[in-house]
Amino acid sequence: MIVDIQKIESGDESITIRYKELTPKLEKIIGILEKTENKVWGKLDSKTVSISIDDIFYIESVDDKVFAYTGEQVVRLDGTLNSFLMDINDESFFRCSKAMVINVNRVKALKSLASNRIDATLESGEHIIISRRYASDFRRLLKGARS
Amino acid sequence: MKNSDKKKLSLWELYLTKEIGIEFKACLYFFAFLFFYCMYRVIGGVYDASILHMTELILTCYIIGYIQVYLLWNFDEADALRVKEVSGMVLCTAIYCVLSWLFNWLDRNIIATVLFGAYILFTYFCVFLVYKYKREIDDKKLNEDLQFFQTEHKKVHDKG
Repeated sequence: MIVDIQKIESGDESITIRYKELTPKLEKIIGILEKTENKVWGKLDSKTVSISIDDIFYIESVDDKVFAYTGEQVVRLDGTLNSFLMDINDESFFRCSKAMVINVNRVKALKSLASNRIDATLESGEHIIISRRYASDFRRLLKGARS
Repeated sequence: MKNSDKKKLSLWELYLTKEIGIEFKACLYFFAFLFFYCMYRVIGGVYDASILHMTELILTCYIIGYIQVYLLWNFDEADALRVKEVSGMVLCTAIYCVLSWLFNWLDRNIIATVLFGAYILFTYFCVFLVYKYKREIDDKKLNEDLQFFQTEHKKVHDKG
């Protein structure tokens, strides 16, 4: 494949892909070009893969390593939970404990527990407990959508 | 710096929330047990209540509130009544009964003390049910808010 990179002085920047057959590699490139903002990159079995942030159920920090859990795979991400939250800047990702961030859009149901804790059931069936410390902020986040 | 200040404040707020919870419990149980005490007095033909007994009762409720929250798994607010919660209820009831005997709240009357014990257990059970139904209502509100959040977020996402 020939990679032709041209610098232009004026006009709109554009990328043209010319192909004979749409291979998975090309699909991946197109996917990156079309939805760069909606993807994160990480490592899965020593391969670098991209996952859509919408597919992430939750992100967990274990021994200073950050893992993103989708329904099917666990991808190791670079950085910290804080850097992830700052990078994506999406309010649907909520810090529910010191070591965990959940995707509120992937929560199937919520249950109020004793001592003001909340049990969040994800679409995968997993249960995440939102601790007392974060539960008030979580309630505010949900109510914020109404105001 | 700002973040750490916020953290300190939230720790204080958490402590305060717990403390208010204990105060609330003390008042709730005090009035419930005061009702029993007053009924016992009225049935016995006595139409006044001892200030000393009431003082002892409120202090007992307050101290047992601490024991409940910090040592006995806050059993009246538990998600379900298991062995440990029931044993917590029985233990607190026994403490109240022993103190009622020592402080002479019910004239050291065995039948009244046994009835007082049964009344305390009944009160604990009622409070457990109240908290349980309160949480069930809260569940509904939470899930409504969640649905609304998800719908709104989807709208914004689709527009973007």
